[in-house]
Amino acid sequence: MKELRTLSINGEDRELAIPHHWTLLEVLRYEAQLTGSKQGCDKGDCGACTVLLDGEPVLSCCTLAMQAVGREVRTIEGIANGVTPAAIQQAFDVTGALQCGFCQPGMIMSAAALLEKNDDPSIPEIQEALSGNLCRCTGYTKIYEAVQLAAKGLKQPVERVTGTPTEGFTVIGSRARKLDAIGKATGATQYADDIQLPGMLHGKILRSPHAHARIRSIDTSAAEAMKGVKAVMVGAELPTSFGVIPWTPDEHALCIDKVRYIGDGVAAVAAVDEETANRAIAAIEVDYELLEPVLDPRAALEEGAPLVHDEDWKGRPRKTNLCKKVELSFGEVDAALESAAAKVSGTWRYSGSTHAPIEPHCAIGRWEPDGRLTVWSATQVSHYLHRELAKVLDVPETKIRVIQPALGGAFGGKSEPFDLEFCVAVLAKKAGRPVKILYTREEVFYAHRGRHPMEFDFTIAADAEGNITAVENDIVLDGGSYHSFGLVTTYYAGQLLPGPIRFGSYRYRSRRAYTTKPACGPKRGHGSVQPRFPLETAIDELAEQLGMDPIAIRRVNGMVDGEETITGMKAETCGILQCLDSVEAASGWLEKHGKLPDGRGVGVATSMYISGTNYPIYPNKMPQSSVVLRGDRSGTLTIFAGTNDIGQGSDSMLAIVVAEETGVPMDDIIVVSADTDLTPVDLGAYSSRITLMAGTAAKEAGGKLRKRMVEAVAAQWEVPTEQVGVRPGEYYDTDEPEKVLPVREVLWLTESASGTLAEHGGYWTKDRGGDYRGGTIGASPAYSATAHVAEVSVDENTGKVTLHNIWAAHDCGRALNRTLVEGQIEGSVYMGASEALTEDMTYRDDGLHFGPNLLDYRILTSLDTPLLEADIVETVDPAGPYGAKEAGEGPLHPAIPAIANAIFDAVGVRLREMPFTPERVLAAIQAKHAAE
Amino acid sequence: MLRMQPFEVHLPETVAEACKLRSELADSLFVAGGTDLLPNIKHGLFTPKHLISLSHIDGFDGISVVDGAIRIGAGTSLDVVANSTDVPPGLAKAASLVAGPQHRKMGTLGGNVMLDTRCLFYNQSTQWREALGYCLKAEGTFCHVIGSDKRCVAAHSADTVPVLLALDAAVEFVGPEGEGAVNMRQLYRQEGRDPVQLDDRTLLTAIVLPPLPAGHVSTYRKVRTRAAIDFPQLGIGLAGAIVDGVVTELSAVASALMPQPKVLKGMDAAVGKPLDEAMIEHLAERCFKQVRPQRSLHGDPAWRRHMARVEMRRGLEELVEASQ
Repeated sequence: MKELRTLSINGEDRELAIPHHWTLLEVLRYEAQLTGSKQGCDKGDCGACTVLLDGEPVLSCCTLAMQAVGREVRTIEGIANGVTPAAIQQAFDVTGALQCGFCQPGMIMSAAALLEKNDDPSIPEIQEALSGNLCRCTGYTKIYEAVQLAAKGLKQPVERVTGTPTEGFTVIGSRARKLDAIGKATGATQYADDIQLPGMLHGKILRSPHAHARIRSIDTSAAEAMKGVKAVMVGAELPTSFGVIPWTPDEHALCIDKVRYIGDGVAAVAAVDEETANRAIAAIEVDYELLEPVLDPRAALEEGAPLVHDEDWKGRPRKTNLCKKVELSFGEVDAALESAAAKVSGTWRYSGSTHAPIEPHCAIGRWEPDGRLTVWSATQVSHYLHRELAKVLDVPETKIRVIQPALGGAFGGKSEPFDLEFCVAVLAKKAGRPVKILYTREEVFYAHRGRHPMEFDFTIAADAEGNITAVENDIVLDGGSYHSFGLVTTYYAGQLLPGPIRFGSYRYRSRRAYTTKPACGPKRGHGSVQPRFPLETAIDELAEQLGMDPIAIRRVNGMVDGEETITGMKAETCGILQCLDSVEAASGWLEKHGKLPDGRGVGVATSMYISGTNYPIYPNKMPQSSVVLRGDRSGTLTIFAGTNDIGQGSDSMLAIVVAEETGVPMDDIIVVSADTDLTPVDLGAYSSRITLMAGTAAKEAGGKLRKRMVEAVAAQWEVPTEQVGVRPGEYYDTDEPEKVLPVREVLWLTESASGTLAEHGGYWTKDRGGDYRGGTIGASPAYSATAHVAEVSVDENTGKVTLHNIWAAHDCGRALNRTLVEGQIEGSVYMGASEALTEDMTYRDDGLHFGPNLLDYRILTSLDTPLLEADIVETVDPAGPYGAKEAGEGPLHPAIPAIANAIFDAVGVRLREMPFTPERVLAAIQAKHAAE
Repeated sequence: MLRMQPFEVHLPETVAEACKLRSELADSLFVAGGTDLLPNIKHGLFTPKHLISLSHIDGFDGISVVDGAIRIGAGTSLDVVANSTDVPPGLAKAASLVAGPQHRKMGTLGGNVMLDTRCLFYNQSTQWREALGYCLKAEGTFCHVIGSDKRCVAAHSADTVPVLLALDAAVEFVGPEGEGAVNMRQLYRQEGRDPVQLDDRTLLTAIVLPPLPAGHVSTYRKVRTRAAIDFPQLGIGLAGAIVDGVVTELSAVASALMPQPKVLKGMDAAVGKPLDEAMIEHLAERCFKQVRPQRSLHGDPAWRRHMARVEMRRGLEELVEASQ
C-alpha cells in the first residue's frame, strides 16, 4: 500500500506517497528525486546508501521509509551551507578522495557524523568510523586525508590548481582538482540509475538456474498476460552473435538454445515497476534439458569432456573446450636450464577475482520519434557498444546514440557489451516507452568478466650472478562460458611477463578452457597480474639460493631505457631501477629485510604494463583516439572526446592538457565525453590507453589553437611569436612580462584573425612489436614500471596476515596531475592487496557461485587497509603527451607477490596458492614445523 | 535493485499496541533495526503481509541499573551498548564488534538476541536458492551442510549472545500469554529452522543481567575475515570473576557453530585457582574438544576449530589482564 506521509528531509517537510514496502533509499531516490544516496549492494553490505537519521549514520537500504516518519533525515544533498559545499565535501574534492564518486555520498555522510562528535579524529578513529563504507577506487588513503583536512577547516574557496607544476609547465604536474569531483561530493552528479525518463518502464532478465542445460522451450504467455507487463522478449529475437573481440563472437544477447552458467540470461520483460517485472520473469516457464556442468579447466580440456559450445560462431562443430592456445619460444631455453646455477620449479595457482565496482551495471534505452535509438549505459567502451548494438539489433550505426553517464567504477568489468544493453533496446521498441534495467549485485557477479583463475607449471633459472637465464611457463586459464577478451588474455598471460625483469630465454604455452561458469575477462592488469605471482615469488627463491638480496637480484635483471623484452616489446623508457631505489629507501628495506622480529617481514616485487594496445580491437587505419576542441567568445573552450571517464579522471586529464597548451584556465574548460552523437571516436577506457592516446590527441588540438592564439597576439603587439608567453589566464610579452592580454581577449583576437575557434587532434600508433605471429599482442607505445615493498605481520598461531604498509613507486613517464596519479597507484595497490588477502571467486560443484554479494565476497574495508605510500617516478617517455605513460593498472601487479614475499620474510613459508587466507598460511606454517 | 514484495507497515507507540497488532494480524512480523530482517525479506526468506515496526515505541530503549541488576531495553541500539560504561566490558566489546558502524546505530540488542540463524545456503536470493534446489530452512527438504533431511544446522551468529549467556542474562518479554521472563540459557534450541523457544508472537522487551560479582571480568573474542562488516566465523564470550588473582566464577560460551550457542563445560575447573598458563591451556583444550564448526559458514571448519583453542586462550589472557 501507498500512503501519503510527511518526511522531514534536509530540514524540509516533504509530503510523499510512500509505498509501505519501500526502503528509505527507494523513497529518497525514486519518490523524493534525491538521487545523491546510492545503491550498491542491495542489502546493507557496502554503505553507499548511508544517510543521517536524527544525526546518526544509517543504511537507508535497510531502513523502511515508514520508519523515518517523524524523524530527521539528512542526505548528501542536505549538508551544504546554502550553495557552498560543506567543508567535508570540499575536502574530498581537494584531496582527490573522489574517483568514481559512487561510494562517496555515503562515505561523506559517515565522515560528517564523525566530525560532529570529534573535531580532531586520528587515522584509527577515521578508519573505524568509515569501516561500513566500502570504496573500490581510492585505497582509502586520500579519504583519511580528506577527513583530517575537513576537521582542520578549509579556507574557501580553494583554487582549482594547487601544488607546484613541474618545471617548465604551468599546469602539468600540479594538483589540479578533478572537474567532476565537487558534483560527486555534493550528490549532484547523475549516474545511469539516477536518470528517470518520463514514462520509463523497468526491465528484468530471467536467468538460468542451471550451469549447463539445453533450452527445450520457453513459455512467456503467463508473463505477457500479467497486468503491468508491457513487453517480453526471448533470445531467438536477436539471433546475431557478438563478442567484444570481432574474431570470437560467441555470445548472444540472451541464450537461444543453451545456457552455459548459472545466471546466463534467457528472457527479459519490461513492466511498470521493478516488482511487477520480478513477478513476470518468475512466471516465465523454461523447459531445460540438463547437461553435465564443466567446472575444472584441466578436465574441460580433456578429450571427451562435455562441450560448453557445440559449435563455433560460424556453425562449425567444436571438438574440444579449448578456446585459445598460444605456444611461443624465445632463445635457447633448454640449454639455459641445463647450465643454470639456480633453479626454481613448481606449480602455482591464482584464484579468480572480480572487479566489484560499487555501482551495479545499468542501462536505459529509448527510441526517439524519428526512429533513432538512444542507449545510456554504465559502460567503459561506448564505441564498441555502439558497434555491437548496431550489429546485433540490425540497426544502422547512424541510427544509434550511446551515452555514458557518470560511471561508478568499472576496472574492466564494464568493458564490453552486456545483455542488459541489448534488452533495453528491444524492450523499449516493443513497449514504445523507455526501459531501464539495473542489475542486482548478484547479477553483477554473474556478468563478471573478472580475473581468470590460472594455473602455472613454472620454472625459472639464473646464473651465479643472478641473471635470469630462462623462464618456462605452462599456463591453463579458466575462461568461463564465453570468449570475452579471452583471445587477448591467453596471449597476455605469456606476452606481458618478460619485463621489467630481463629474461635470457623464454618459452610458454597458454591454453584457455571454456567452463560453465560466468565468463572471465579483463580486470585491471588484464592477463598479466596472475603470472607475476609465480615469477616474482620464484625470483625471491632464486635470490635465496644464490645468497642475494631480493632487491639486488632485481637490479641485476632490471631493464633500462630503450631495452627490448625478449618478446620484442621495446620500452623507450623504463624506470624500474629508480622505482627499486625509491621503495628500498622509503620502506627502510636495508634495516628490515631479514632483520625484523619473528612474525614480521618485508617483501618486494616489480611489474611492467602497457600504455594502451598498439593495435585496435578491430583492424583499421583510423586514429585510436580523436579530440575536437572548440572555443567561443565567452572565453570557454569545449573539448569533445569519445573517452570514457570511469572515475580515473580522463576528463580532467584532457582539460589539464588543453589548459597547459592554451592558457585557458581549467575552470573555463568543459569536457563533453563518451556520447557517440557528439564526440569523435575514442576506443574506450581499457588497457590504460587514454592518457597516452587521447592526451596526445588533446595536446595536438590544443597546440594548434595555441599556435593561432600566439600568432594573433604577436600580430597585435607586432612582436615575433617567440616573444609571446602563455601562462594561466593570460598571454604576456616575454620581454616585458607586465604587458599582458587576458586569454578571453586573446580568443577574440584569434577568431578575428583566423576564423572559427575549432581544432582537432588524433592519435595513431606506429608499428611496433615482435615480428612473429602474436608479436603485435602486448605491443604498446610505452611501458610503465612499478616496484612495491610490502610489510606484513603474520600471526603464527592463527595464520592471519596483517598488512602494515605498501610502498609503491611507479614510473608513469610524467605525472600530468600528481594527485590523480597517486590516486591510481593507491587504488591499484589496494585492489591487489584485497585480492591477495581475501577475495576469491568460488563455485560449488554444480556451478553455483558461493556468495555473489558484497558480504560473502570480501573486499577490504578501511580497517583492513593501512595508509599506503605512493611515490611517482618520472622518465619522460617520447611516446606520451609531455612524456606520460599509464598509471592505472601497472601498480596493481606487484602487490600480490610482494605480500607473498613479505610473508616468507616474516614466517619462512612460500605460498603458491591464493588468496593468502589464515587457513592457507597456517597450514603452510604447520607443514614447515612438521618438516623441521 | 532487490525489491521487497508489498506489505503494510504499522508504527505502534506502545508495547501493548505492538503485541496486539502482532496477535491480530496474520503473516505479521516485528521489525526493529531491520539490518537483518530487511535483507532476509529482500531474499524472499520471509514474505510478511504486515511489518510491525518497533521504532516508534517510547521507552523501548535505555539502560538502567537497579540494585546492581542491569536492565537494557530491547530497543537499545548496539552502538549505545558498545559505548556504555554501565554494561559489563565483555558485552560492550561484543556489541562494538557487530557488523559495521551503521549496523550498530540501527541494530538493537533485542534484535541481536533474536537474530535468525545464518547459513551459506540460506542467506541468499530467491534465484540463488532456486538454483541450489532450496534448503531445509526455507522451501526445501534437504540440509546441504550435513547432507540430510533431519535437521537444520544454520549457525547462531549473534555476537552479543555468547557473552550474555556467560553473564547469566535473562530476557523479559510480552507474549500471547502476557508478560514473562526466561534465562537466556533456555532461550535457544538446537534446530536452525526455529531457533528461539518462544512463541513467534512474543515481543522481547528487555535484557536483564544479574548484579556483577566482585572482581567481575568479561570479554568477547570474534573470528572474522575482515575487521568490519562480517558476521562471526566463531565467537567466544567469557565472564567470571577474579579476586586477588584467584578465579571465583568462570563461564564461557561459544557461538557461530550450530543453531544453539554452546555453553562450554568444565570451566569451573578454574574456580579457586589462578588463571596461570597451565590452567589457560587446560581450558583452551576443553573448549577445543567441545567445539565442532560446520560448513554452514565460510572458512575451513578445521581451522575454525583450531581458532576456538587460540581464541579461548586469548580471551582468558584478557580476563587475567583485566583483573590486574
